[in-house]
Amino acid sequence: MSHYEAPIREPLILGDKSYHDISNDIAAPIEGKANTWWWVVFSIALVAFLWGVGAIAYTIGTGIGVWGLNNKINWAWDITNFVWWVGIGHAGTLISAVLLLFRQKWRMGINRSAEAMTIFAVIQAAIFPVIHMGRVWNAYWVMPIPNQFGSLWTNFNSPLLWDVFAISTYLSVSLVFWYTGLLPDFAMIRDRATKPFQKKIYSLLSFGWSGTAKDWQRFEEVSLVLAGLATPLVLSVHTIVSFDFATSVIPGWHSTVYPPYFVAGAVFSGFAMVQTLLIIMRKVSNLEHYITRLHIENMNKVILVTGGIVMVAYLSEFFVGWYSGSSYEDFTYLSIGAATGPYWWAFWALILCNGVFPQLLWIKKLRTNFTVSFIMSIIINIGMWFERFDIIVINLSRGHLPSTWTQFEPTFVDIGIYIGTIGFFFVLFLLYARTFPVVAQAEVKSILKSSGDGYKRARDNK
Amino acid sequence: MASNKKYWKSVEELKENSSIVEKLKQKEFVEEIPTDQFLGDKDSLDSSATSRRDFLKYVGFSTAVASLAACEGPVTKSIPFVIKPDDVTPGIADYFATTIADGYDFANVLVKVREGRPIKIEPNKESSNGSANARVQASVLSLYDNNRLKGPKAKGESISWNKFDSEVGAKLNELKENGEKIVFLTGTCASPSTKSLVNKFSEQYGNVDHVVYDAISESAVLDAMKEMYGKRALPDYDFAKADVIVSVGADFLGDWQGGGFSAGYAKGRVPKNGKMSHHIQFESNMSLTGANADKRVMIKPSEQVNALIKLYQAIVSGVATREMSPLNTAVQNAAKQIKAAGGNAVLVTGIQDKNAQLLALQINKAIQSKVIDVANTRNIRHGDDVKVAQLITDMKAGKIGALITHNTNPAYTLPNAKEFIEALKKTKLSVSFAMNDNETASASEYVAAIPHYLESWNDVLIKKGQYSLTQPTIHKLSDTRQFQETLLIWLGSDEAYYDYLKGMWNNNVLGGKSWNKALHDGTFTVPVANDEIVTNDIDISAAGSALSKIKGSDLELTVYTKAGMGDGQQANNPWLQELPDPITRTTWDNYLLISRIDAERLGLENRTIDNGALNGDVVNVIANGVTIENVPVYIQPGQAPGSVALALGYGLEGLQKEMSIGVNAYPFANGIFQNASIEKVSGEHKFACVQLQHTIMGREDEITKEMSLADYVSRPKDWSTAPKFSLDHQEVTQDKVDLWEKFDDTLGTKFNLAIDLATCTGCAACVVACHAENNVPVVGKHEIRVGRDMHWMRIDRYYSSDMTVERGKEEGSFGTGEFFNAQIQPSDAPDVSFQPVMCQHCNHAPCETVCPVAATSHGTQGQNQMAYNRCVGTRYCANNCPYRVRRFNWFKYFDNNEFDFNMNNDLGRMVLNPDVVVRSRGVMEKCSMCIQMTQLTILNAKKEGRPVADGEFQTACSNACPTDAIVFGDVNDTKSKVSKLEKEDRSFKLLDFVGTKPNVFYQLKVKNIKEA
Amino acid sequence: MSNKVIQAMYDDDDVLLKAVKQTREANHQIEEVYTPFPVHGLEKAMGLKGTRIAITSFIYGVIGFSFSIWMLNYMMIVDWPQNIGGKPSFSFAENMPAFVPIMFEMTVFFAAHLMVITFYMRSKIWPFQTASNPDPRTTDDKFVMEVSMDDNEDQLSDFLKQTGAIELKVTEK
Repeated sequence: MSHYEAPIREPLILGDKSYHDISNDIAAPIEGKANTWWWVVFSIALVAFLWGVGAIAYTIGTGIGVWGLNNKINWAWDITNFVWWVGIGHAGTLISAVLLLFRQKWRMGINRSAEAMTIFAVIQAAIFPVIHMGRVWNAYWVMPIPNQFGSLWTNFNSPLLWDVFAISTYLSVSLVFWYTGLLPDFAMIRDRATKPFQKKIYSLLSFGWSGTAKDWQRFEEVSLVLAGLATPLVLSVHTIVSFDFATSVIPGWHSTVYPPYFVAGAVFSGFAMVQTLLIIMRKVSNLEHYITRLHIENMNKVILVTGGIVMVAYLSEFFVGWYSGSSYEDFTYLSIGAATGPYWWAFWALILCNGVFPQLLWIKKLRTNFTVSFIMSIIINIGMWFERFDIIVINLSRGHLPSTWTQFEPTFVDIGIYIGTIGFFFVLFLLYARTFPVVAQAEVKSILKSSGDGYKRARDNK
Repeated sequence: MASNKKYWKSVEELKENSSIVEKLKQKEFVEEIPTDQFLGDKDSLDSSATSRRDFLKYVGFSTAVASLAACEGPVTKSIPFVIKPDDVTPGIADYFATTIADGYDFANVLVKVREGRPIKIEPNKESSNGSANARVQASVLSLYDNNRLKGPKAKGESISWNKFDSEVGAKLNELKENGEKIVFLTGTCASPSTKSLVNKFSEQYGNVDHVVYDAISESAVLDAMKEMYGKRALPDYDFAKADVIVSVGADFLGDWQGGGFSAGYAKGRVPKNGKMSHHIQFESNMSLTGANADKRVMIKPSEQVNALIKLYQAIVSGVATREMSPLNTAVQNAAKQIKAAGGNAVLVTGIQDKNAQLLALQINKAIQSKVIDVANTRNIRHGDDVKVAQLITDMKAGKIGALITHNTNPAYTLPNAKEFIEALKKTKLSVSFAMNDNETASASEYVAAIPHYLESWNDVLIKKGQYSLTQPTIHKLSDTRQFQETLLIWLGSDEAYYDYLKGMWNNNVLGGKSWNKALHDGTFTVPVANDEIVTNDIDISAAGSALSKIKGSDLELTVYTKAGMGDGQQANNPWLQELPDPITRTTWDNYLLISRIDAERLGLENRTIDNGALNGDVVNVIANGVTIENVPVYIQPGQAPGSVALALGYGLEGLQKEMSIGVNAYPFANGIFQNASIEKVSGEHKFACVQLQHTIMGREDEITKEMSLADYVSRPKDWSTAPKFSLDHQEVTQDKVDLWEKFDDTLGTKFNLAIDLATCTGCAACVVACHAENNVPVVGKHEIRVGRDMHWMRIDRYYSSDMTVERGKEEGSFGTGEFFNAQIQPSDAPDVSFQPVMCQHCNHAPCETVCPVAATSHGTQGQNQMAYNRCVGTRYCANNCPYRVRRFNWFKYFDNNEFDFNMNNDLGRMVLNPDVVVRSRGVMEKCSMCIQMTQLTILNAKKEGRPVADGEFQTACSNACPTDAIVFGDVNDTKSKVSKLEKEDRSFKLLDFVGTKPNVFYQLKVKNIKEA
Repeated sequence: MSNKVIQAMYDDDDVLLKAVKQTREANHQIEEVYTPFPVHGLEKAMGLKGTRIAITSFIYGVIGFSFSIWMLNYMMIVDWPQNIGGKPSFSFAENMPAFVPIMFEMTVFFAAHLMVITFYMRSKIWPFQTASNPDPRTTDDKFVMEVSMDDNEDQLSDFLKQTGAIELKVTEK
């Protein structure tokens, strides 16, 4: 029998579902009305978003001086947030690409939302490198285009320019990957839509997908190749982001361990963010049958692994710095100097949130518990924010020449912009949750017989 | 190359002596144009086809067409010189030699004038008094001060000069009739012509007196000189001759006795064949001089007096006090050094007491010091405290008919200013000649607005035989009139002061030599006969015993002057307000310096808050019967316990609000020191410091290298900690290894900048020069406080810490948190090192690599260039700079009322250097190695068709340095000074191990440490 | 030759697969099969040729890679070489390590996007394209097999009924 799956494997789709039930369940949030909670959360997010817009406008109108930066610490919250958001934006593509290559079926329940999360997060990330420029109106100069005086090109030696290419490639490729996957599901919605307007919209969105055998053949091939391309891409993005620091000469930045450690950290924080969102969404959009305890546990396992890698990186950074015996390494973000200096609180926040607490997930009872997983995901996101803050601010505040040592304090504008991006992120995600098929139903249907609860029981009982 | 090209006009010229060519030389046309034939006879004219009408038609048409065609293209407004002055060529700077003599700073300077505007002050290196300190460098901005008086005033109402003359003249005559006393109260006036005018005035008006008053008095030494050598003038010192310098509280690298000694001092600080001067400093508050000393003994002012007596006894009387105290051993050691050096030693003291000065003079006489020169004296201080005191009592008694003040502000600077203002009311006439509406001006009945020295004529006799001229470099900006002009008018003469001055010089000074030459040079030296020094023998013992009666207290307060502010007459100058104090690295403030011990005793604190800025407690200071409230406290390493110090020159009235900061310390400026008591009051002061980490954290080897003379002599190569790399299994220094094939920079000029840490005294003249040359914006107190100072060059100052790596390893605390926190604390009696840091112009610049838009790249001459227009402001370059020398325009710093400094008003903008752009908001900026200057030098050399001579290349900082510690030039020119310096064994590069390969290099400091 | 087709609807993918096999054994011409999700083995059963879209993607990748090399060399070495941090802008080979990230990103960018565009073009899916699936339920839970027929309608429909079709529909095509 082609649909055989070992009984030992837990079912990925709970409840006795038929193909049609799946369609109904996925279409429900789109066809139904938004409940009050949705409106409450949405309006809060919207307000935060607007506040951020105001803060950005103020910055561009007055000057970067409205932030807490100074001539020694020229980056702080701006690039911290940038790296944080990019990191978060790694889970989606990793889930849909890497897990696809590894034939991990459990990805199918979550990849749609994970990818959506990725795209929205990368959009937030992209905001910061632009607005942190002193002259935003010239931001397009980072594109390799000749200027009006002739061929004044960009500097391809600059890691910042590598970022421009990496981020834009990553964002656009993730977008097509995501959208191509959406086509059959849009088609499904289109074909069951009753309201003419809805029908119009979804038939437009579905690009006239009709699901012929040849289409499906190409569809699967494309998904596979895209996965193959996206996998190195996803690894390259944070590698290149880490080059911003690794290729510099500043103590604490100039470190060869950064690329792998940044990628691990990115996946770490990305999965945490997926947890945060899905644990809520499975309740709100009643997808308990598709996003199961098993999914949460699997993601927690990934978090454990990547968290482990990150911790090892911390330890090696700390050790190598200390072992070098160089006084310049005594005050990097992972050093005794930092642990006892003015930024001790940031240092310990990093160690606790990223290093200590996640170890609790070794206990099965905890990693299969939704509440624990949720809280843990929040803690990890905080910890990963501090990691970037420490790398940037602590290292810059303790440069080569002691005469240039200083400290940083954010202004309300710094905070406003950060809150604003969080608001923007949730605005996008909430809209997505109401209008998009949040589970890749076509894919799920294809595994219903193999790992659907009902079918499994039927098989096992005979 | 200069052009001697020959332009061929015709093939004929090829022929030797061709007739046509000859003709052409004479006439334009070879054969006659038959004009007469045509225009000559009437008929042919009439018969011609074109009649006059047609002709006019065509003319009219063509004119119309032409003018229509001319209408195309943009019409730009411009205001031409209708008659261009022949000495003003747009784009070409003129230099005028002149002299600043504001009663406190005296120096021969060159004024750079562009398009008729003075924009920069530079030292006149060909003159004998050509070292320009920070205040002199900044004085050009005071010319464009918006707060200057625009015209004369009477009782606060502005009036016309005619009215002023008639009213004041009438009053003067009236006083003359009644034979009442007219007194001139002026700052030190070293101008022979002015003096002669005052004398003429007194002849004419009879009962006239001229009282000289220095805000910061050198009366003590003047009186001592008078008593000992019979003339009331300052002795001169040539520290270049000194092997041993012992200073008891004399800040001779600062403003002590008029300053200007650093050049000579520096000469002795570079070891030549194993020898250099030895400098011992006894002082209470950390001064520039103390910071540069080989041995610094910190003692309270009263102990200084004591030390001076001991020194005298040991050296002159030859009785060494046997008393086991560290102070005494230090004193005896100093005495031993002086005796050993004999005539090559010198003792100087800053104790403001006649007896103390007598002792010092006596010691120098006893050892026949070659350093001090009592014959060729300096005239730059004349103030007489006794006379001033007498004057005030007379005024109070109503004995003074008229008080005419000029170039002084007693109502602010007198310790008993209130008394003075009261007394002033008792005079029948009070006239104040002032540049701005200061305390005295507002207290006086009449205010005569006087021009800035850059708008005036005058002469100065700085030193015996050394005459200097002050000439205007710009027309008077407002309706002002020189003091001397007014005097001439009062004398009823219609002669202009210029003519009077010229006459004076032709008759008394020049002795037949050319006036124009003198005016061009700015100085004129007349040979002085070394007349016999007459020495009155005086009762030193009396002086000694008088001194020994001085009793100390447990908190002794002294006042001092800052390199930036001096006596405070330029307090409205934002460049000086923003200039970081070389010692405290703090701007926009004066504060009570206190030792850590006293601070802890009194529960006073300095706190670093979250954004890295410094906050301090506030106290009330009670001394000299006066209470000064809300004085911020700054804990100063090296401040003698039991002593506090407060800087003069702050807390003036009538300044712009940004500039009216600090407290007025003059009420304490009286005698040697004050017995003070301080009480903590509520409140917290916000400091604006540019450096918050004071110790070097065990990184000396890569940053500021220092070594003792002994080590330097015995194993001169030992300090070189340049990192070694293995290349083909050979140990090589990092300049040999390179990741890539390097660019060929051996062709053309390659600029290098050498900074000698041994001769850099940290005086900060270069910082102001850079500020002026490069249109660096002033950002104000708050921006400085949050770490956004814009100075393109800074002078880092490091204190030694008691916790060294060695000690840490001994105690086993090394590498722990407590070790680091101890290492961060400066010692209570620290060694100090200065290090000027500007862009190092790295050949492998980390900043260039990371700029996404290639806004900063490397020039062929070695500069790291910054293209402001291309910069998008990612600030990545600044983050990746190990030296942190890049400066970001966080806001729009010009035409912005948030930053209401000189770039925000039309007058202030006149000081901007047209060769340097004003940077817009959101771009990065930094030191450019004054590329506008170097390019000009190259251009001029090209025009004259010659190679650039060594020393022609200058940057603002190298040009301003009074000790020549900063040397700039072309290293590809093997004969140049800088290339020689580069090969010197003292040379090293800052943070060599990072591998940035800078084009700026340093030379390590050698300290002549002699323990006894 | 008429171009009538008969659309047989199934409600289970396994049934469909069997039906497809049988239909082909019975030498009926299968025009098209519409399914709501990828049914594995279907293309084999229908005897479709494998797609070459992966090869196009590779070619696009090569193009992107070469383009990036040309661009980098032109902009950094040929057109305006500058001394940037001492990096050897006079030789592409020596300066190349700094360009690797860009080369990689450009390769992926070209490969991914051009391939997806090719896919859309070949399968005729783009905005404002109208869907061609005969029955809206084929995107939900039903499967439709289109079999071309000439005048053998009854015989064919009987046959299809046997294969498990739940609905039959004859349409012009």
